[in-house]
Amino acid sequence: MIKKLLIPIELGEAIEVRLLLWCKTEGQQLGAGDALLEFETDKALVLVSASQPAVLRHCFYREGEWMKPGDTAAWLSDEPDEPLPAKGDTIAEELLVGFDVT
Amino acid sequence: MSKVFFREALARAITEEMEREPRLFLLGQDIAGHGGSYAETRGLFERFGAARVRNTPVAEAMTVGFAAGAAAAGLRAMAFITYLDFLMLGLDALVNYAAKLRFKSAGQLTAPIVVKATAGAKGQGPTHAQSIESWLMNVPGLTVLAPSNPGDAYGLLKTALRAPGPVVFIDHKKLFPQGGIVPEQEELIPIGSAAVRRAGRHLTLVAHSYMSVLALEAAVQLATQGIEAEVIDLRSLWPIDWDTLTGSARHTGHVLMVEEGQVVCGVGAEIAFGLRERVPELRVARLGARRAPVAASPVLEAYTIPDAHAIVGAAHGLLMRAASGQSTNGQSL
Repeated sequence: MIKKLLIPIELGEAIEVRLLLWCKTEGQQLGAGDALLEFETDKALVLVSASQPAVLRHCFYREGEWMKPGDTAAWLSDEPDEPLPAKGDTIAEELLVGFDVT
Repeated sequence: MSKVFFREALARAITEEMEREPRLFLLGQDIAGHGGSYAETRGLFERFGAARVRNTPVAEAMTVGFAAGAAAAGLRAMAFITYLDFLMLGLDALVNYAAKLRFKSAGQLTAPIVVKATAGAKGQGPTHAQSIESWLMNVPGLTVLAPSNPGDAYGLLKTALRAPGPVVFIDHKKLFPQGGIVPEQEELIPIGSAAVRRAGRHLTLVAHSYMSVLALEAAVQLATQGIEAEVIDLRSLWPIDWDTLTGSARHTGHVLMVEEGQVVCGVGAEIAFGLRERVPELRVARLGARRAPVAASPVLEAYTIPDAHAIVGAAHGLLMRAASGQSTNGQSL
């Protein structure tokens, strides 16, 4: 199944965030608890970790780019060779993630 | 050009000016190891050391007084006041000492300080969210700046940190959560220069700080209704850029002053009167907060402070009254 990674909307009053780091590259397998990406708000650093196994398939933003809460940052899949939908297609399933805010 | 957070624009301006001017030092609550209430001094303590980045106790009168005294003795100081409300405690040193020093000494002494304070409503209630910048416009000798985006914050703060006399630099809590463009190369913005954010022909919206953001939103809404609003961001509350304001007022014939603070003796009152002196046929109106303290309740806060919808409504009101030949006047929500 293809899943989307959403920038959480529960970020206080953040309007925009900046992507600092992808901890994995496209095609890499993540285990539950693995760090996936880090971004910053105007006040905090947020480390996003996968809460379930998945393969990182497509990153929509590069490091240094700006995103908004609710944006889809990446597509992931259960299996490495699952066909991805066309860009612009809607994916309902969300990857379960955890957040570490400093 | 690069996009940065508001706090980063401030930090860059301060860093560049501290590197340029060894006499410049900072003081304020939590600005050293903590990096500032809005993370705007993050990294400066590590870079410039304890002698130039000084934490102060919760004592705003001391903070401003210390800054003014040190500046009069030959240093340059930037004092951080977490909330503009708390500058009330430092007004004696700011108004009676720093702002008057040049006049009292026949120009022999100056107090080159910048007092940075954060204004605006964002859930902090009646004593931590006021917009009282118009009080400061009343004081001879004070320069009052209020940027609305990171690029202006960068350019204006650099200019302020080189200015000969006391400057109050007012930002807004709601400006921190989003990014904005700053120039790659050093760029200073002159004090006393407003910015035309959007061209229009039917009326002029004049605002500052976060209200400039809302005025632009309102202008977009008005455009869908066939009304082309020019938007002027004051940036400098004192001195006032009369040339830009007068030019727009003559062009559109209608000016709506928008501010987050009270309309009574407010920024809008001063500018509206000044514009009528220069453009007697001008139709003017004011929009500001309701005649009440800023509420702690988010619902009541939103009810108290103008938003884009209120600006659109006030613009319609101004144009309708003008079209029907009625006099225009000031109003809060």
